[in-house]
Amino acid sequence: MKNLNIEELQAAWQSCPWGIAAINRKGEVIAVNLAFEQCTNIPNESVIGMMESTFDALLLNNPLLVRNRIETQDNNLRALHYVQHAATCSGNDLRLSRAAELLREPLASIYGFTELLLTQNYDEDTRRDLTATLLEQVEFMSNLINEHLDKSKRVSTAHKG
Amino acid sequence: MKKVLIVDDQANIRTMIRLALRNRFSLDEALNADAAYEHILTDRPDAIVLDVIMPGKINGLQLCERIKKDEKLASIHVVMVTACGQVEDQELGRALGANAYFVKPFSLLALEQHLITNLLAAPSARAESSIL
Repeated sequence: MKNLNIEELQAAWQSCPWGIAAINRKGEVIAVNLAFEQCTNIPNESVIGMMESTFDALLLNNPLLVRNRIETQDNNLRALHYVQHAATCSGNDLRLSRAAELLREPLASIYGFTELLLTQNYDEDTRRDLTATLLEQVEFMSNLINEHLDKSKRVSTAHKG
Repeated sequence: MKKVLIVDDQANIRTMIRLALRNRFSLDEALNADAAYEHILTDRPDAIVLDVIMPGKINGLQLCERIKKDEKLASIHVVMVTACGQVEDQELGRALGANAYFVKPFSLLALEQHLITNLLAAPSARAESSIL
């Protein structure tokens, strides 16, 4: 098999539909491709030089990102992070299962705190705190649904165009 | 009192599990699998309630595998609590040695009862594993 030259490798890197970030052996982000900013809404230049743990925490703030981290055997690269917005993942099954996983988190809080309120004798302040948490989780869930639907609509419109 | 380590990156989930278990178990918390592993090596719990998808170098399933492959740690009772609810996810959890697999949303009463049965009840009453 023919080895790709540097231009061909760069073309492959920049045209990949997944956002990719390369981490060097020191644990720093040294490069991201064009799709990274489109998937994450995080400016590419803002992550260059960032430590992987900080980068990881930044991506975690967006629960709608589908992520994968691959360790490399390369002397210079420690790992590659692959990132895609859940609404743009190929395949309805993957989209649906990712959406279900996202909704299960706030749903778990709603289920759990409701069960606690029904079965435990808490004082009034604690009951108010737990009820406020329930409301927060309902709002969080609603925002997740709206964001997912908005993104799906944008992707669908782009495909038709 | 038996020690249970709660591992989840979501503060709400840790809080509700703590509220459900605090009367019967001694509880500690970790925010991800890496911190949990460090904790386990220094202060071994009797059971661990473990999320799957968390930030860090290893996820919950990888931590479960590490625990079960280490003969000094293998007897720790591992309960996965996760949003990954597909059959293959549960099969993977079981293959890696998880003692139980609770899919979010789950009943805190059922989780408490599972831990009582497996940590506090007589050995004959203990369940081998459960998927809920």
